[in-house]
Amino acid sequence: MSDSGHGQGWLGWLDRRYQITPLIEFLRHKEVPKGPHSMVWYYLGGMTMFFFLVQVVTGVLLLMYYQPGEATAYESIRYLTTKVPFGWLMRSVHCWSAHLMIISLVTHMFSTMMLKAYRPPRELTWVTGYILFALTLGFGFSGYLLPWNKLAFFATSVGTDLVKSVPLIGNWLLQVLRGGPDVTANTLYRFFALHVVILPLAFVSLIGVHLLFVQRQGMAPPLGAKVAPRGMRFFPSFALRDLLLWLVCFMVLLVLAVFVPYGPGIPGMDWELGQKADPLAPAFPGIKPEWYFLWEYQLLKEFPPHLFGLEGPQLCLLVVSLLLGIWAIIPWLDRQAQREQPSPGFSDFGWGAILFLTFLTLKAWDIGAMEPATSGSSLKVISRTCAWWTIGAGAVIIGIRWLLQSSRQSSPPSASR
Amino acid sequence: MPENTSNQKSTRRSFLDLVLGASSVACLGSILYPVIRYLKPLPRAGGVGPTRLTPEELAKLEKEHFVIVPVSGKRVLILQNAAQEILAVDAKCTHEGCTVQYLPGESVIWCACHNARFDLDGRVLSGPPPRPLPKYAAERQEDGGILIVAERRQSE
Repeated sequence: MSDSGHGQGWLGWLDRRYQITPLIEFLRHKEVPKGPHSMVWYYLGGMTMFFFLVQVVTGVLLLMYYQPGEATAYESIRYLTTKVPFGWLMRSVHCWSAHLMIISLVTHMFSTMMLKAYRPPRELTWVTGYILFALTLGFGFSGYLLPWNKLAFFATSVGTDLVKSVPLIGNWLLQVLRGGPDVTANTLYRFFALHVVILPLAFVSLIGVHLLFVQRQGMAPPLGAKVAPRGMRFFPSFALRDLLLWLVCFMVLLVLAVFVPYGPGIPGMDWELGQKADPLAPAFPGIKPEWYFLWEYQLLKEFPPHLFGLEGPQLCLLVVSLLLGIWAIIPWLDRQAQREQPSPGFSDFGWGAILFLTFLTLKAWDIGAMEPATSGSSLKVISRTCAWWTIGAGAVIIGIRWLLQSSRQSSPPSASR
Repeated sequence: MPENTSNQKSTRRSFLDLVLGASSVACLGSILYPVIRYLKPLPRAGGVGPTRLTPEELAKLEKEHFVIVPVSGKRVLILQNAAQEILAVDAKCTHEGCTVQYLPGESVIWCACHNARFDLDGRVLSGPPPRPLPKYAAERQEDGGILIVAERRQSE
């Protein structure tokens, strides 16, 4: 039996009943690989989970006042933020934490991509992480409608309308998503169910699987090192560092939530309640989704009305689905990383994705932000200039990297990741 | 003989497998079908046919030169052009479904979401919409009221 190590204390009591010694031994010997690369990337998953926990706690608190419904959703949020003691703080923390969670999740995903941590045997960790990322975007999208204000109403109209371009089942899917042909109170009920029940259940289950994979396999060592040269003890060294980082995150979150309670006000990061949604009012200048959807919003604008026999939005959906599909199966595509060799082509694909998203996001800063008569506004000029500089500088850097790569390949073997 | 028995056995087993598989699929189908039907909402109930503008809507039309009203479950933009004619088009942008508006100064219909422009007959002037806005028949009646006929005509 395994009651040897823990004697008569509470651990011993538990061990005699549930045989927890192997678990304790596992945790005692668990190590985080140390290598030539920075360890900072290993903390991002935990950081994302911290923000998710904050979302759960503040979400439950918000639920105690929020009432979904055409006549109550907007009113209950207004009551919450203006009358309920610290109601504004709860909403502010929930909104800020959502944005910070997405920032840390996107950074976590791109760092995994760049370090090729998805390579065997961690393919399914990548896939579960990818689905968690999709669920997080679903959280953001469904939560955005809940205050039932004008901005949310039109952002949801645009976002859900894209679904109709899905072949064969597009119209059915659109009606199921909206609870009818248009965005109405039925959409609000469905999004509420998604945001507070369906997505959390799916997310918590999947995060369990993701963490189980990480625990079973450990964190990915640097590329090329089958066995990490040195390791850091998970308990207490890494766990305490994790805890310290969570504390820093909490401080940053609170400072932001208290001093900037309605967001910095830049496009896509502004959660002033504004006016109540009116389905019979026209879309107003300045309408935009949250910053992490701006790229898609802009991409929809970039496509011409018709191309290759398809309508613009259909082609847009096809391109986005194709790119996201490739992103999901990268572990199986990257043959070099499978052999523990550097795969600069996939690094460039990652950088390309970053440039593509940054370019579209920067470019999107002008859309809807102006009256039709002021289409040459300085905001538009600045955002477009920044966008083109980003893509230009990125292309130059990737070009130089390829030149260096090829010149290095002609002499000694490459050591680049 | 033993060979025959094993053949019979495998036939019996594969038959049972087939029955089990088919009944599992049927069982799954009988669970999924009601759920799928449940998820798709019923068509919206409401009046179908000509719609008359209310006094409030008429007042808004006079003041802002356009008003958006529900007609047979659709949003319809009623506008009064420079020549005082009444025109009606579907208010749902054909690009991504935002609600359009009339800009009297420029005599165009505009969608704020992706900066699309249409002429007053609903034809696309610029921007990403793939199709024109469907047109409705609108007529001013003798008593000054405005009647919108739910039948739609394509602009092109």
